Amino acid sequence: MAATPSSKAKTFQSPNKTPTNMYRKSYLSPSSTSLTPQTPETLTPLRRSSRHVSRKIDLGNDPIDLQGRESIQEINLTPRKRTTDVVAETLTTPKKKKIDVEASFSPISPNRSETITKKKKKKRVYYNRVEFDETEFEIGDHVYVKRREDANSDEEEDPEIEDCQICFKSDTNIIMIECDDCLGGFHLNCLKPPLKVVPKGDWICQFCVVHKPPPLQGKKKSAKRTMREKLLSGDLWAARIEKLWKQEVVDGGDVYWIRARWYMIPEETVSGRQRHNLKRELYLTNDFADIEMECVLRHCFVKCPVEFSKASNDGDDVFLCEYEYDVHWHSFKRLVELADGDSDSDQEWNGGKEKEIDSDDDEESVCADSKSKRGLKGANSRKGRIFGLAKRIPEHVRCHKETELEKAKATLLLATRPQSLPCRSKEMEEITAFIKGSILDDQCLGRCMYIHGVPGTGKTISVLSVMKNLKAEVEAGSVSPYCFVEINGLKLASPENIYSVIYEAMSGHRVGWKKALQFLNERFAEGKRIGKEEGKPCILLIDELDLLVTRNQSVLYNILDWPTKPNSRLVVLGIANTMDLPEKLLPRISSRMGIHRLCFGPYNHTQLQEIVSTRLKGINAFEKTAIEFASRKVAAVSGDARRALEICRRAAEVADYRLKKTNKTAKSQLVIMADVEVAIQEMFQAPHIQVMKSVSKLSKIFLTAMVHELYKTGMAETSFDRVATTVSSLCLTNGEAFPGWGILLKIGCDLGECRIVLCEPGEKHRLQKLQLNFPSDDVAFALKDNKDLPWLANYL
Amino acid sequence: MGKEIPAEKSLNLIRGRLCHPSFIFRPLSASSDSNYSKLKFIVSTSIMEGCNNSILLLGPRGSGKAAVLDLVVGDLLEQFPDSVSVIRLNGLLHSDDNCAFKEIARQLCMEHHLLFSKMASFDENSHFIIAMLRECGLAHKTIIFVLDEFDMFAQGKQRLLYSLLDAMQSVTSQAVVIGISSRLDADQLLEKRVRSRFSHRKILFLPPSRDELDGLLEHLLSLPADSSFPSGYVSRFNDKIKNITSDRRFKDILKTFFNAHSTVNSFLKFIFCAVSLMNLESGLLSLENFKAALSSMQRQPKLEAVRDCSVLELYLLVCMRRLEVKEQSSYNFISVMKEYKAIHDSFQTSDYYAQNVCIRGFEHLRERQVICYAENRGQSQTGEYRPMKLLISASELHQGMRSHACCPAILLKLLDH
Repeated sequence: MAATPSSKAKTFQSPNKTPTNMYRKSYLSPSSTSLTPQTPETLTPLRRSSRHVSRKIDLGNDPIDLQGRESIQEINLTPRKRTTDVVAETLTTPKKKKIDVEASFSPISPNRSETITKKKKKKRVYYNRVEFDETEFEIGDHVYVKRREDANSDEEEDPEIEDCQICFKSDTNIIMIECDDCLGGFHLNCLKPPLKVVPKGDWICQFCVVHKPPPLQGKKKSAKRTMREKLLSGDLWAARIEKLWKQEVVDGGDVYWIRARWYMIPEETVSGRQRHNLKRELYLTNDFADIEMECVLRHCFVKCPVEFSKASNDGDDVFLCEYEYDVHWHSFKRLVELADGDSDSDQEWNGGKEKEIDSDDDEESVCADSKSKRGLKGANSRKGRIFGLAKRIPEHVRCHKETELEKAKATLLLATRPQSLPCRSKEMEEITAFIKGSILDDQCLGRCMYIHGVPGTGKTISVLSVMKNLKAEVEAGSVSPYCFVEINGLKLASPENIYSVIYEAMSGHRVGWKKALQFLNERFAEGKRIGKEEGKPCILLIDELDLLVTRNQSVLYNILDWPTKPNSRLVVLGIANTMDLPEKLLPRISSRMGIHRLCFGPYNHTQLQEIVSTRLKGINAFEKTAIEFASRKVAAVSGDARRALEICRRAAEVADYRLKKTNKTAKSQLVIMADVEVAIQEMFQAPHIQVMKSVSKLSKIFLTAMVHELYKTGMAETSFDRVATTVSSLCLTNGEAFPGWGILLKIGCDLGECRIVLCEPGEKHRLQKLQLNFPSDDVAFALKDNKDLPWLANYL
Repeated sequence: MGKEIPAEKSLNLIRGRLCHPSFIFRPLSASSDSNYSKLKFIVSTSIMEGCNNSILLLGPRGSGKAAVLDLVVGDLLEQFPDSVSVIRLNGLLHSDDNCAFKEIARQLCMEHHLLFSKMASFDENSHFIIAMLRECGLAHKTIIFVLDEFDMFAQGKQRLLYSLLDAMQSVTSQAVVIGISSRLDADQLLEKRVRSRFSHRKILFLPPSRDELDGLLEHLLSLPADSSFPSGYVSRFNDKIKNITSDRRFKDILKTFFNAHSTVNSFLKFIFCAVSLMNLESGLLSLENFKAALSSMQRQPKLEAVRDCSVLELYLLVCMRRLEVKEQSSYNFISVMKEYKAIHDSFQTSDYYAQNVCIRGFEHLRERQVICYAENRGQSQTGEYRPMKLLISASELHQGMRSHACCPAILLKLLDH
């Protein structure tokens, strides 16, 4: 927090500070009480209000400055929030005034978007794409937004092309190179020595090398700044368009509005610019504002790190955004990459309105918590967002350059979703055909599929990727919409809970399971509708189906009975490990479930090899034989793909450890057979032999006595009485001191704790029953070549 | 506090060392081959690279699994102060899924200064945990779950393990699950679907070698020269220690000790015992201290029980033993009394007591767990008729009676034949 005042001061020490001061005060006070949550720091987000404030200043000021670029007669930079009379008076045109009066609302209301919709009866027309001022804007586009209108931007021209820092000319014919430190542009042939081609990797200009600012060319420099420079120095804003709409104004004519989600430059955050921040880095905030299209200058491009690294040639308006910044809590959060395309990130990006309401709710609840004990609600019992986790981005994450081995480890993680699913195309086709057939079918009778296979054969992921493809088809319009409910049997508190989970997924309301069962029965058996859902077909995916088996099996029966009802439009996909689950159930259930089955067989070694090598495509980290070895081993044991991936990852870790410990640049950074061997050993070999080799002397004698006893009697189970007698005779004949029964009992119990021996509790003493937990050959193998006690071999 | 005499001070210092795990395990984990560096490498790479891992620490009780883990966690908290949070669960306390989820939610709330509600349901808690895992993953924070007594979590439906491991493979998260167990077959206890999701890194804790323990002994017992001890005292003390450790008899003591015990923890207990017996007047350790410590570590409870028995009780024990020799496997108080009477009739001993006195002796033996009822069932029967068992072996009985202060000679004879 120490850096806070300075960075904020910077924001406000702009030339337009003096006229705004009084306004800012008047806006800040209500907003700080009701709008912002009681953050732990109780720090009002000045930045946010400063944005609104300056928007109003735009209003009060003369709009000449806009004429430079956009030929618009009037700007309606209407403040969307809390316009007070002070501002309204400063308005010049009557038109603006009206809007303002309409838009103004009571400062106590915390939810401004709601108030807008209430107060304004005007129709809004929402668009996905708008052509405005000869440029096309779309939801999700990134744009520059004006910040100060009164800045000395009269002679503002928008230099699309940057000047060279050495010759101060902007010649488009010569290739320009950008310094990675100061972001200045240089012509290739102006450099000393001149470069022929753009070098790979980072390049730093001659001025930055000696830490000297490049020679300014006085006035010219400051006058002609690119938008990028202005943005990074805080004179412009960047925003993401969340919504686009057209609104009618009273005296005719339409005004286009956007809801902007602001980007921030690192200097504006609480922690300020940190060492790991890149020059072109921005943070996405959770701060929204409704602004008019006139403020929008033009497009810029904000990219995620992967795209950013590819976009080295895309011009000057490319920025990097990896983190989201929470303006209330001053915390950072990594953005989920859009490329993943999973449903979570969709949620992340869906419209701003819900989001805002959500956050307002949170704010309210936080406030309520702090104010009254009545509405006390724990974080774990509300399903809201959790925020404020990372106060700063750890440096080690950003400054880390990945080696090939680390890349390999990352792609071998179970959590990384593969781009494609090799070796399961046949099964996926079958599932797709089944689902499509049942959705498109009007009758949709008795559709139920049972998918089984050992763990790690890709059952769930196959179904999910089928659903993803289907979703794409729904969006394309070739398949009618459906609703999809995914449930995991092991994550339910009790089997009956499944009803309320299904009902909640379909209607959004949470009720008890009995009530939910009643509603669901009405929905599926009688065809009544739940909520606003328009009789869409419903696909129910139940993972770990075997967990739903209750004593009278009524849960399974109910769920599997619904699809047979004429109007249900329900498809059930059940996933479990056991092949014969339907046979274990009551006949009335197995007749409903057992008809359509799909088996996911264990992978064989070629398939496993393909799975691993498709993941490792493009990364040179493994010897080919190493992968083959691992996959053959796994295929022989279980055919579990997760196992194969884990073995390879472990092998990479072992290799990494080996390379780091030897601490010299070995010739090959590859994972070799030996590493895989170590990983397999660790994973499959039980550690008991090593433990048996290292236990105390008496324990070894004890184990030998047990084996001896086993050979003598042929019975697996012995009693402590007999073992102790054997031990004492062994000790006597071989010249060891017999320790006494009490100690021997303790030793037996210790071995029992490690489960080398299975034993009853020690209180039974003489009558305690003992049994070896491992084959006697293992004991013989472990103890045969013992240096301390060579005579043990005679008894094994 | 007044003045502390140097002997007391050194005693406190050494005791403090013995109870301080990092003092003991730091020197043991210096080498690159040690479990400490292996574990630290795995956990710190998971933090650095933002990946998930699950590790099992296996080894006999007292081999320093938790201590080494604490060292690693402490180091990592120092190295990455903002990006590590540790959640600790114990199988003995939290083997119930519901309770475990609640505890995780509570600790997460504590860690991140969120309000925790006790009333939240199982569902809400599990949603919260998964949401937190995701958020922490996005904020580059690693959650380390330490599951002590891991085998206890591997009972029942294993809902906790499944939820954690499944979340780790499906959400963008950064979590390390570390299980500690003394059962070597802990990973075999996992259900198939849980085992498939577990990453199976196993670290085995074996007892240290003798050389390491010798080094540890010196490390523990030698006093530092630069502290406020009188200088002569420190050198005297250290010389004495050197003297003892080079003694043959001391080596024999250690050898007998290590014959039965091999773990670090039992060794520490032994040293603690010995140090506590130190003579405060001389302020120096002696060989006798170690000898006494050994005998107090290796006790023979049953022998002592026999040694303290009354003559009547010895008679009863001998009778029961005789019945067993006669291969009469099941006997109760009545049949023991019959045997007792037979002995009395044939040998005319002076110790003959009435039945109600005998029954008192009988009860006493049972309370001391020298004998017990053969089975727990049949509580409706009165004690006299319930079948009994002797919980002491013939040789122990023999040994105990011989060391008994006033055991009649006839009893030994009776036992033998």
